[in-house]
Amino acid sequence: MSAAQASTTGRAPAGGVRWLTLRRRRALLPAIFVAPGLAWLVVFYAIPIVSQLWVSLQTGNPDDGFAQTYNWSVYPDSLSEYHTHLVRSLGYAGLATILCFVIAFPLAYFIAFKAGRWKSIFLLLIILPFFTSMIVRTVAWQTLLADEGFVVSTLRSLGLLNVLGESGRVLATPQAVIAGITYNFLPFMALPLYASLERMDRGLVEAATDLYASRWTAFRKITLPLAAPGIFAGTLLTFIPAIGDYINAQLLGTPQQYMIGNVIQSQYLNVRDYPVAAALSFIVMVIVLVIIVIAARALGTRRLSEAVAA
Amino acid sequence: MTSDPTGTPKSMIEFLDRLIAGERVSRRSALRRFAAAGLTVGGSSALLAACGGVKGTNEGKTTVDVTKVDHPTKDPVGKVVISNWPLYIDKKVIPGWEKKVGGKLDYIEDYNDNEEFYAKVRQELEAGQPIGRDMVIPTDWMAARWISRGFSEPIDKDNVPNCTANVLPALKSPAFDKNRDFTVPWQSGITAVGYNPKLTGRKLESVNDLFDPKFKGRVTFLTEWRDSAGLVLLAMGKDPVTATKDDYLAAIDKMGEESAKGQIRRFTGNDYAKDLASGNIWACIAWSGDIVQLQPDNPHLEFLVPEQGAMTWSDNMMIPKGAENPYGAETWMNYVYQPPVAAKITEYVNYFCPVKGVKELLIDKSPDLANNQLIFPDEQTLSRLNGYPAFSEADDREITAAMQKVTGA
Repeated sequence: MSAAQASTTGRAPAGGVRWLTLRRRRALLPAIFVAPGLAWLVVFYAIPIVSQLWVSLQTGNPDDGFAQTYNWSVYPDSLSEYHTHLVRSLGYAGLATILCFVIAFPLAYFIAFKAGRWKSIFLLLIILPFFTSMIVRTVAWQTLLADEGFVVSTLRSLGLLNVLGESGRVLATPQAVIAGITYNFLPFMALPLYASLERMDRGLVEAATDLYASRWTAFRKITLPLAAPGIFAGTLLTFIPAIGDYINAQLLGTPQQYMIGNVIQSQYLNVRDYPVAAALSFIVMVIVLVIIVIAARALGTRRLSEAVAA
Repeated sequence: MTSDPTGTPKSMIEFLDRLIAGERVSRRSALRRFAAAGLTVGGSSALLAACGGVKGTNEGKTTVDVTKVDHPTKDPVGKVVISNWPLYIDKKVIPGWEKKVGGKLDYIEDYNDNEEFYAKVRQELEAGQPIGRDMVIPTDWMAARWISRGFSEPIDKDNVPNCTANVLPALKSPAFDKNRDFTVPWQSGITAVGYNPKLTGRKLESVNDLFDPKFKGRVTFLTEWRDSAGLVLLAMGKDPVTATKDDYLAAIDKMGEESAKGQIRRFTGNDYAKDLASGNIWACIAWSGDIVQLQPDNPHLEFLVPEQGAMTWSDNMMIPKGAENPYGAETWMNYVYQPPVAAKITEYVNYFCPVKGVKELLIDKSPDLANNQLIFPDEQTLSRLNGYPAFSEADDREITAAMQKVTGA
């Protein structure tokens, strides 16, 4: 009796719940772990994307309503209408990413290898500005770059005003927008670079120099390849959000600098032409996806997952 | 008041900026700026709306016979619910009304943005349900939208003798409500040219002066086409009220050219005020209320109402369809159109007062206020002011889209 009891309590209660054997439970475990994330993805990612595609094919206007007409021509139409904004976004985002890299690499290198006990302080300094809102920081740039502001007056007193060209200003120029993007996304480049450099075994560089590699060769053949996942992650983390950014163009630029994000924002909120806005968002997503796929192909998917892990 | 239509949080930034700079941030505009920031959030509901089959706003249109309106008097009037823009009243005037008519005023400051408020109540209005307010205060063009869709209750003129008697002649018959059957102006403002004579080096006379090549890149216009294009049309010698859609499109083209040339630096909402004060821009299309608020710290700033004309707008008291206490709302309209009450409100909000006889009341007490052209425009200024045009929805959309292309997206 007692043995029987023990066996029924030890196992799952008889009957319908038999499926919860240990093996089944083990098999179910991954699914249970994945479920919340999957549900999240479906609700907040997959469904919105499908709905966006659906909306982009509608025609109509906000007063009389939109109806589904499978109007695929919205894609070529909005592309030809707004390709300048699209190209500009890619250009600005690309330039800002390169600038970010040029600035962040020495910075990350310094923090990883030379900063010693000051390491955490420097890392904190990189992250610190992010405790305030991006908008407030960009407005601070507005003040810095103002026509009568600090930067312009410094240039003037140095007699360098002619570098500004005929407009004689810094604010409301493409340079200001690119500088703003670079500033705002710098940590997204610096932190992954730091992470991959920090993990590096310095002994490898030592070994290379022992084998008569010059410092430059050692850097090129050892440090740079080992930092590749960080470079890749940093580039993606900077470039992708920078394409969609509209705050910098809005606050530091003029309509001649507006990017695709500005167009999408105003199509959604001001013109309320939801199909065009949805189509443009879709186009941007596809472009980003293509870029990631190309990069993954070029660098190999192993690098991609390493980069993501970094 | 035309609030920042781009819906970006620029306005809030400008507010913070001024706050940091220790500048006087006055009452209504302060909240307005936060409100504009809130629009970004409001915008996301539009996004959500876009996900379903998007329903239009034209379904359930009705017409209203304004001649048959009769709101019987009640004593006491009971509870009245008003939604107004934040910080747009001196609340000390409320007890006076409550005592006089035996009412209870539920004064809610939740009208933060024309589009946003409209989006909130639209579905109830379409379904013919009450929205729980006896009065709302939309800007002219938004009031026009409510009226054309049959969402507003006509005013029983027998109940508002003060309004009929005391409204400024210039505001008596706007294009969207010729006989003021549905609306009574609450406060008004002027859209014209704000500039810094120290930087321009000369007095400006016309909106055309903004196209002077010497000011290249030092000029901003407003994103709101009703204001910007209206002023450009006036400078071309056209009447913005009777101008056609093509006239407006031509004016927008003109701004587009100037923007492409780099003459116009940006198209803005309220945020031009900061650029004007800091000297980044020398001249711009500006709203009178902003300039009144900038002047204490920037006394050199000038506001030009050109001889060719300027635009004017009002926020209007209006009774929504299905309101529970229209008579109560009318007693309030009648009450605030007594000059002593209007004077109190003007002293607090500093906007252009639509009630006759207020200036005379204020001249001894606060001569600065009474002599401010932007609060009490003289006959000459008033004669230069023009209202907004009334276009069909389709035309309106076309013009909005054209302006959007020019303003940068």
